[in-house]
Amino acid sequence: MLKAVFKLFAVSLCLLSGLARAAEAEPVRFALIDPLTGPMSVVGQPALAQLQFTAERLNKEGGMDGHPIEIVGYDNKINPQESLVQLQKAIDDGIRYIIQGNGSSVGSALLSAINKHNQRNPDDRVLYLNYAAIEPSFTNERCSFWHFRFDSHVDMKMNMLTDWIAENPDFKKVFLINQDYSFGHTVSESAMRMLKEKRPDIEIVGNTFHPLGKVKDFSPYISKIKSSDADVVITGNWGQDINLLIKSAAEYGVDVPFLTYYGSTPGTITQVGDKGVDRVYLIAEYHGDFTDPEIAERQVALYKEKGWDYYPRVAAMLEMMKAAGDKADSIDPLAVAKTLEGFEYDAAGGHLTMRAEDHQLQMPLYLSVLKDNMKHGAEGTDYNFHQVAHFDADQATLPTTCRMRRPD
Amino acid sequence: MSLRLSPWRALAPWLISLLVLLVIPLLVSSNGTFSIINLIAINIVFALSYNMLLGQGGMLSFGHAVFFGLGAYGAIHVMNLIGDAGYDGQGFWAHFPVYLLPLVGFATGALAALLVGWPFCRRAGTAFAMITLGLGELVAAGSQMFPTVFGGEAGVFSNRMVGPVWFGLELAQPADVYWFSAFWVLLAVFAMWAFTRTPLGRMSNAVRDNAERLQFIGYPPRNLRFLVFIAAGGFAGLGGGMAAVNYEIVTPESLGLLTSGLALLMAAVGGLGVFYGPIVGAIVVTVMNSLLSDYTDASILYVGLVFLAVVMFAPAGLGGGVEQVRQSWRRGELTRQLPGWLGGAVSVLLIALGLVASIELVYQLSHGRDKLAQVLGLQPDPSSPLVWLGVVALFAAGYGVARASKNYREARS
Repeated sequence: MLKAVFKLFAVSLCLLSGLARAAEAEPVRFALIDPLTGPMSVVGQPALAQLQFTAERLNKEGGMDGHPIEIVGYDNKINPQESLVQLQKAIDDGIRYIIQGNGSSVGSALLSAINKHNQRNPDDRVLYLNYAAIEPSFTNERCSFWHFRFDSHVDMKMNMLTDWIAENPDFKKVFLINQDYSFGHTVSESAMRMLKEKRPDIEIVGNTFHPLGKVKDFSPYISKIKSSDADVVITGNWGQDINLLIKSAAEYGVDVPFLTYYGSTPGTITQVGDKGVDRVYLIAEYHGDFTDPEIAERQVALYKEKGWDYYPRVAAMLEMMKAAGDKADSIDPLAVAKTLEGFEYDAAGGHLTMRAEDHQLQMPLYLSVLKDNMKHGAEGTDYNFHQVAHFDADQATLPTTCRMRRPD
Repeated sequence: MSLRLSPWRALAPWLISLLVLLVIPLLVSSNGTFSIINLIAINIVFALSYNMLLGQGGMLSFGHAVFFGLGAYGAIHVMNLIGDAGYDGQGFWAHFPVYLLPLVGFATGALAALLVGWPFCRRAGTAFAMITLGLGELVAAGSQMFPTVFGGEAGVFSNRMVGPVWFGLELAQPADVYWFSAFWVLLAVFAMWAFTRTPLGRMSNAVRDNAERLQFIGYPPRNLRFLVFIAAGGFAGLGGGMAAVNYEIVTPESLGLLTSGLALLMAAVGGLGVFYGPIVGAIVVTVMNSLLSDYTDASILYVGLVFLAVVMFAPAGLGGGVEQVRQSWRRGELTRQLPGWLGGAVSVLLIALGLVASIELVYQLSHGRDKLAQVLGLQPDPSSPLVWLGVVALFAAGYGVARASKNYREARS
């Protein structure tokens, strides 16, 4: 009798402790390795704010496969070597999901380091979730099973920009101005190649490179654009190079569209302001109209809470990870990675598919232009990007040369 | 100092260093700590090589990263050659072990310094600083334009687990790389110390102190500077070679002005006048750079403040401070002088605490609380005047102790 009571007691104790463990399940942690201090923190902090904001909401919905999502920021000062130290720290802290976006040099370092880590530690694998390093090779010749890209790469975006130009018969002369480094050259080369294919009659009236981040006065470049009589300008500029370029264009009355990759980088809208209206075009995963009331609500809430604008693709990335974890019924990186292959998800911008072949997200893209008096202004202003054109995921897609090696 | 040291006294620092390097793996187990230790080792070599120029040769360089970066590029390209040769196991590179890559880095760095250095070394001082600044910018800008050599923005990457394996050391984890780093840092530090003992090393001090007189007695300062420049370039390249093996990637950032500035920062914080100063500086700066940002978003500000404080109040650096204590101990004056110094240290600590507290409070007002505040156990409300009164009290106490200990020191000397 005593034994039976004791047994009952022991069993109930086990059950209770089991319940307690389920209630506070171990968190699944994501490391954000991005610049979080210094001048470049304006590109890392918004992502951190967005991730924390989205994680909070997802945790209310039960977290990833029952595990609460936790975001840990690691400051890499946008330096590749420092990123590897931070990566090691994150792995030591038991984090198996690494998020990074800013700088393809950092992306390259993380990609090769994570590949090697997974090869050398088969029991302890790590996934690399890339939300903004858009060097095409990451999902082509350098593709890896452990890397997932949640942004369209340079060529995909250029594909849509050139489609838009090609469809508009008024555009006859295109001017290319880019920063003189690998990314700028990639933009210029793919623009020339695609324009030649799509509209051989279009004339490239200028293909200029300027030093990266060193030009204080863009007027010589602008007068070149003006005298070339260009109808449209394509630029991959970011940071102060885009701010000063647009301001200078406004001062000299160059009223042609500037098609940009990074017109929405934090700080740009505040600095460019009125001078960018009807001049800065942006190719991105969403637009500033916030037609979806739920997303609009979140934009308002996030800006109020953290002082940063909504970052749609970062939010979509975390939502997708949660959904994939739920579906895989696991938070094990390998299981989640296998589920992510071919995974589909509906986000703010439309239907997303993580292509299994190369782990490149296939998503709709939007071309938008900066407007004043928008309902939901960016950076606390009244300016934001108003949709001009929408491209389906099928339209934006490009073939890949990836030959993926998968783990058993 | 012309004190003749007994061989044991001279050997002691090396034996202690060796012992520390051997004991570290017994105390440390996490790969993250090992990767920071490896980074410290690289930075020690880099900072010491920089001090060959600035501290010993009197040449202020803003382009030292060029040799570090080129050494790293040389090593990583050779690493790729070893990897490619590994497929058929033929040729020279198939038998070249990865452990020797720092030598390749040394050769690359020294060669680069040999090729560009001659015109630079005619003058020291501002002219030299300006020219090296130009060189640094030139190479950094050029590196973005030759993607086949420098790998463009993405850099050149490789795999260190190639080529013959020695002593069963596979270099898979940071803990394995530790042995590699420990060996090379000890060897490089010893070699650079030995360099200071050579006639050339002695003469480089003379060039720093009075180039005109040296010219007069028949040693052309330009030749001496050039030789030191080559040696410093070589050792920076050796550090670069270690970095190539450690990171398995080299990007154009490693050639740039920021990396050059890091060398200056480490050497200056540690102390230019003492041989081991840059070692101390490399440890402090690396740890601050890699760990401080975990606790506070204002980490860069703190690094800058430390640099400012050292340059303004302790121009001999942290190593200089240690040396001062050591000298006084040797003269048997330590018991007399120590209270004054301790008082100074306490005042620095108090003022630093006040400064940190006020920075964190201001930061809290604008951005919300970060982790450092929690670590220090501070949960104050920045809007309460009492808290600010506390900060003022810290400053006042620090100032008071500083005055008192200064008077004390002056009375005793």
